[in-house]
Amino acid sequence: MREASDVTSAGYGVRALIDGSWGFFGSDRFDDAAFDVAAARATALAKSGTKIADRVFALQPQEKVVAHFETPMTKDPASVGLSARADMLLAAERAGHVAKSVIAGYAFLTIWTTVKEFYSTTGSAVTQMLRQAGAGCGVSALGRDQDVQMRGGPGDFALYQGGGYEVVERAGLHALMPEYGREAVLLADAPALPSGVRDLVLDSGVLNLQLHESVGHPLELDRALGWEANFSGVSWATPDQIGKLRYGSELLDVYVDNALPLGMATVGYDDEAVKPARVPLIERGILRAFLTSRDTAAQTGLVQTASTRAQDWSCVPMVRITNIVLAPHEGTLASIIADTKDGVYVAGMRSWSIDDHRLNFQFGPQIGYEIKNGKRGRIFKQPTYTGVTPHFWGSMDRVSGPEDFVVWGTPNCGKGEPEQISRTTQACSAARFRGVTVGVKSDA
Amino acid sequence: MLDRDRALSLAETVLKAAAGADQAQVTVTIGDASYARFAGNYVIQNLDAVSTQITLTYFAGKKSASISTDDASPDSIKRIVAEARDIAHRVPPDSGFVSLPKAAPIAPATHGYFDATADATPDDRIEKLLPVFARLKSAQLSSSGFMTTQTTTSAVANSLGVRAAFTGTMSGLQLKAIAAKTSGFATFYSPDFSRMDAAGVSERAAAKATLALEPATFAPGDYTVLLEPSAFAAALKALTEGMGADNVLEDKDSWMVGRIGKRLFSPHLTLRDDWSHPLFANPPFNVNDGAQTKKLTLIDRGVVDRYVTSTYSANKYHVANTGHPNFPGNAVIEPGSRSREALLASIERGVLITRTWYERVVDPRRASITGITRDGVYLIENGKLTKTLKNFRYFVSMVDVLKEVEFSDTQVLTEPDADTNCSSVLPDAKIAKYHLAAQTSFA
Repeated sequence: MREASDVTSAGYGVRALIDGSWGFFGSDRFDDAAFDVAAARATALAKSGTKIADRVFALQPQEKVVAHFETPMTKDPASVGLSARADMLLAAERAGHVAKSVIAGYAFLTIWTTVKEFYSTTGSAVTQMLRQAGAGCGVSALGRDQDVQMRGGPGDFALYQGGGYEVVERAGLHALMPEYGREAVLLADAPALPSGVRDLVLDSGVLNLQLHESVGHPLELDRALGWEANFSGVSWATPDQIGKLRYGSELLDVYVDNALPLGMATVGYDDEAVKPARVPLIERGILRAFLTSRDTAAQTGLVQTASTRAQDWSCVPMVRITNIVLAPHEGTLASIIADTKDGVYVAGMRSWSIDDHRLNFQFGPQIGYEIKNGKRGRIFKQPTYTGVTPHFWGSMDRVSGPEDFVVWGTPNCGKGEPEQISRTTQACSAARFRGVTVGVKSDA
Repeated sequence: MLDRDRALSLAETVLKAAAGADQAQVTVTIGDASYARFAGNYVIQNLDAVSTQITLTYFAGKKSASISTDDASPDSIKRIVAEARDIAHRVPPDSGFVSLPKAAPIAPATHGYFDATADATPDDRIEKLLPVFARLKSAQLSSSGFMTTQTTTSAVANSLGVRAAFTGTMSGLQLKAIAAKTSGFATFYSPDFSRMDAAGVSERAAAKATLALEPATFAPGDYTVLLEPSAFAAALKALTEGMGADNVLEDKDSWMVGRIGKRLFSPHLTLRDDWSHPLFANPPFNVNDGAQTKKLTLIDRGVVDRYVTSTYSANKYHVANTGHPNFPGNAVIEPGSRSREALLASIERGVLITRTWYERVVDPRRASITGITRDGVYLIENGKLTKTLKNFRYFVSMVDVLKEVEFSDTQVLTEPDADTNCSSVLPDAKIAKYHLAAQTSFA
């Protein structure tokens, strides 16, 4: 057991609005003097901004919301003792050691519980008990030429969802590890995927990260307005293109639903007390909406999507990917593979890279299987693929149905200055893309 | 310096409460970080947060547990000690753990705290930004970035007598000047806010953004590049993140494996780890365990010299403790003999890269990376910047490309890395052959 830790943090953030200028002060000191300091410093910050207030930046919310929300769960994490958790992880790790060439394995679980309260001068009072959990595992194997390859998951790296300990059990680590072990051993001596143009079948776990990077982030409205230009970047999609921009093929239907069951970002209200609603972002491949905050929605006249989150009490709420869903269509992953004459099926994730406009990307899954005449064949390591966002999504000609649909989570999405880490969801099934450039060589 | 005393006092209190442990360690971090974040020559987020984090690591033999909280009340301390003790007795042992570090003298920090930074007010930050916005508006440029001032205290205490504490300050300005189709990036970091060169930053960013109205296409291929320190810092990380004992001795996936003692790089390349460099405001100890951080030469004139260790890894692998996390967190590249201008003038045809994005290690054993240029990439012809180019995806092995490298004579403090929060002290790097693999459709 390498690490057993528990992190608790409690504090509060005060947002003050003066003449259209916001100030924010976060503190973890709970006494009357500290409260006075927090109020004074939030006010001073807001006032300092008014020196350059050549326009009103923000409007005061008018609504009064009084509500309570709790993330549903079926198994309270408190009911599972630490010994039982450790035993489960250690047994899972051992199950991956299927050969002498397996040099290391890992298994982990994480559980978050957040008590969040929101109060405003309009009389709002929202209390929430939010729960999320996740678990993952993997194996590294050493090849004959000393090459180390890893295989792990489930999904891209692990399963993260909203809920209690049932999420950890749903990840099914012990059952996955022997197969990860076998695949890692094969990968360590496998050839790299030759470069070329092939049809590409993405496992649901890989598609989830593709969705996160090339659909979720570009549709954050603060980014599209240039507010993130210095760090996490801008967007190739802009609000003036709503209703006109072809983002992808007719099969690309994406919506935001921040009340989605199992969603990592599922809440009763967001961090500006906005109630979630299901909002189409892309319909039949055409851009329809963005993920918004109160400020960005007011500036553009776009619909509010309850997509503001602060990492914690010390951070300003900002627009985040929350729960985005790629609607499933029909068939299964198996039927897509059976329907593919010459392609590559990829699973798991190693590395990924995308530009600051969210256009040009390269993903490096963990494992690639050649598909020949509808059958899975040889294994390839480094099955990288590259593309340009609208071309790639435009080449999507199969999306499997509800059988393959999984609500995946990302626990460490970074954005903002100072950087904030957020927990997001991308829910999807599997999909096929035609004519994708694969096997990009690192020394090409 | 009150925070330093408060942090050590908190650590002592928690240690006393954890007296039943075979060994125990407490780390305390007290932070005050302010940001004026702007876009469109307007402050969009103006924020400040104070925080205290206490982490107790409780050892029962080779079993351990870590509990963190920001609540320093007596009840909270009782709770974390009880919880840590409970967990530590129930988890399996870590066979790699030998001991926490023993008490030893720690070299005193010579610098790192500046009143001008610690006492900066919201108005001070805005006052520095007003001329920046005015300069950009006069050139019809927009902007994105932030001005920050921060004070951070780190303290470590353990049951073997280690007591270490340090308070440092940092200020920074990052500025992306934005034109219709081009942009320019510049940055400045210093522990001393009174040295903040906002005017210089805005001039450099504006000049780059207005070099051309339209970004040009340019054939991908192998080119001589001049990496500004921001871009070089990201690339250098491919080397430094493989320089921990865990990577070299256990995972064996580091570019250093089998290469220690060998000449691998250009003789111009000397990489040191030196917390005391005047541009840093870094603690003289490993903030994870309180051991003295040694000043090291890691790559000596092209020869791979050594990796770094923590107390944990040093004990586990029976090697000397260098007092680092699993990477060199105080990286310094020795400067060269020629100015940046002279390096630029020496390039007949090449590319200037100011900043990169989403850089990922593709193959750690060759320190191979891919990433995308951003916020300004420029064509160099006959020693001059002649065009703004659209961005590139690049693929390079740092092991390969640093065989032919030359550095400028001026070092700067780079912005903190997003993952490690560590800055580096770096010059500009002229690299003879860099593979620009594909061009994007935008600048």
